[in-house]
Amino acid sequence: MNAILGLLGPLAWRNLWRNPRRTLFTLAVVVVGVWSILLFDVAIKAVAENGKQQSLRLLTGEGQIHAAGYLDDPNIDHRMPAPTGRLGAVLTGPAVLAWAPRVRVPAVIESEYRTRAVTFLGVAPGAEAKVSDLPGQILAGRYLRAPGDDGLVIGADMARRLKTRLGKRVILMTQGADGRLAEAGFTVVGLFGNVRPAQDEFVFTGLARAQALLGLGGDLSEISFDAANRRDPAPATRALAEAAPNLEVDTWMSLSPLAFTIESLSSAYVAVWLTIMFVLMAIGIVNTQLMAVFERRREFGLIQALGLRPAQIVLLVTLESGLLMGVGVALGVMAGYATVLPLGGHLDMGPFAGAMERYGFGGVLRPTLDLGDAAAVGVIVWSLGLVAALWPAASAARASPILAMSEA
Amino acid sequence: MTAIIRCGGVTKLYRQGAEDIHAVQDVDLDIEAGDFATLSGPSGSGKTTLLSLIGGLDRPTTGVIDVDGETVTDLSASRLADLRLRKIGFVFQTYSLVPVFSAEENVEFTLRLLRRPKAEREARAREVLAQVGLEGLEDRRPGKLSGGQQQRVAVARALAARPAIILADEPTANLDSANAEALIELMSRLSEASGVTFLIATHDARVIAHARRRIEMTDGRISADQRIAVAPV
Repeated sequence: MNAILGLLGPLAWRNLWRNPRRTLFTLAVVVVGVWSILLFDVAIKAVAENGKQQSLRLLTGEGQIHAAGYLDDPNIDHRMPAPTGRLGAVLTGPAVLAWAPRVRVPAVIESEYRTRAVTFLGVAPGAEAKVSDLPGQILAGRYLRAPGDDGLVIGADMARRLKTRLGKRVILMTQGADGRLAEAGFTVVGLFGNVRPAQDEFVFTGLARAQALLGLGGDLSEISFDAANRRDPAPATRALAEAAPNLEVDTWMSLSPLAFTIESLSSAYVAVWLTIMFVLMAIGIVNTQLMAVFERRREFGLIQALGLRPAQIVLLVTLESGLLMGVGVALGVMAGYATVLPLGGHLDMGPFAGAMERYGFGGVLRPTLDLGDAAAVGVIVWSLGLVAALWPAASAARASPILAMSEA
Repeated sequence: MTAIIRCGGVTKLYRQGAEDIHAVQDVDLDIEAGDFATLSGPSGSGKTTLLSLIGGLDRPTTGVIDVDGETVTDLSASRLADLRLRKIGFVFQTYSLVPVFSAEENVEFTLRLLRRPKAEREARAREVLAQVGLEGLEDRRPGKLSGGQQQRVAVARALAARPAIILADEPTANLDSANAEALIELMSRLSEASGVTFLIATHDARVIAHARRRIEMTDGRISADQRIAVAPV
């Protein structure tokens, strides 16, 4: 095989350059095709990752632990004790990067002017900062300082709706652990923003303050966690589920189905675009190769007359396509990197940022071209190119050696 | 002498519309090893068709052809390719060289298919190119060679793998007189020197004059077959 490749390889390469204009045109089609597939892949994945991070880095985390039934009915009765024993060991072990305990119950907030339904959260600020970006989204005032902090952080939109502001007192009412109404006055110490749907829904105080108000002792509503392996939270989730068989352990995929759907669809979008681009490329490749084969039918007859087998003719034409596609794919991948690398993983959407935020996305995309993705696109396009080349290759192999006897 | 080519009842029919054209009709022919034979006749007499059937480039409608002990008519396309590679050298009417290969690479082509070692290939290619008088032109591509030089490269390529038979189809048809004379002299000399069997389809009287056996075809049949006892010219 090596001897045949040693003969057919150089022959295939030189054949490519017998018609440089045609070869360069086909090459350009492949380069632009691969480049556009990669850029589309980068853009779609950056948008999907942005949406996912906006969702997960708000409160969801990569996974959550709840008492059984909490997700269906998130009231105070569905609570769990603070993690100890095996669960505590897994949470502080190598499978989990960070975790944050929370009290999270429905409540009503009342200012001097308005009353609104909210989700009331008690959080441990230090732990929260490791699993959520929300502590960094303070527009005015401050975030909570400690689990015992009795200040209240609310969204800027909610403050507007309640007609309240920093330093003002509001009343929070909810159901206590004993089933009675629990209510307390809080001072608004901070306003958060840049996370539109959440600004109008969540209010935060210190974990210990919330537990005291609700009469929970040390009990919790939820634990949010990030897995050590961000690409695959399943092993951490499994370990946690085994450590706490009576609790529900869920990944972000089920907790935030919208983010999961967007991420899943991003691969489908890329596959659709890859298919469209590949069909266009294949049309170009097959056409030019068929033309080249037709022009060289007598030559294929000649080399068959000299002893080349039909299968070796197929190999020759496939090699020509393989080399052409290989160079095109390599240049396309380089063009992709040349476009993405200068962005440095940071693309400010500028005038579109506001619109993106309204739909739950951040205003800054983080486009990166993963080497694995680039290699996968390259291999797929190259392999499909070879498959497409089988048609002209088979056509060349059908050239009869008797054509060598005909006059040029 | 042993027959290296044996044709028995060979017929080739082409269908043209509703009509059957007999390109070759019921040909019985033996060519002996070492012959320098010509197949002559007017255009359409079937000489090129018979040559292509003997060379395994086409298949007869009926009849049997043996080449160096192998029945060509029984072989698959791949086995035929192997047979051509190992036993038959071809020289075609037009300068049938691979245009992207140099003269030496063209000559090496069959040797590479035969998986001969590099050193042996190169030495043999240079040897046969020298035999056909193309020393110093080894690196030239066909486009940089004259018609006569290209046809000599084709002869060198046909000789390179030391085939038992060389089949040539109108090898002088596209050459001027001087180049045609030189090529005829060359093939005749190589035949005597190497003992390889030449079967040449031609209507060039100069080629026929050099033949030790002159076979004539008319309307697809052999109309005359003359052996020349003494080396002519």
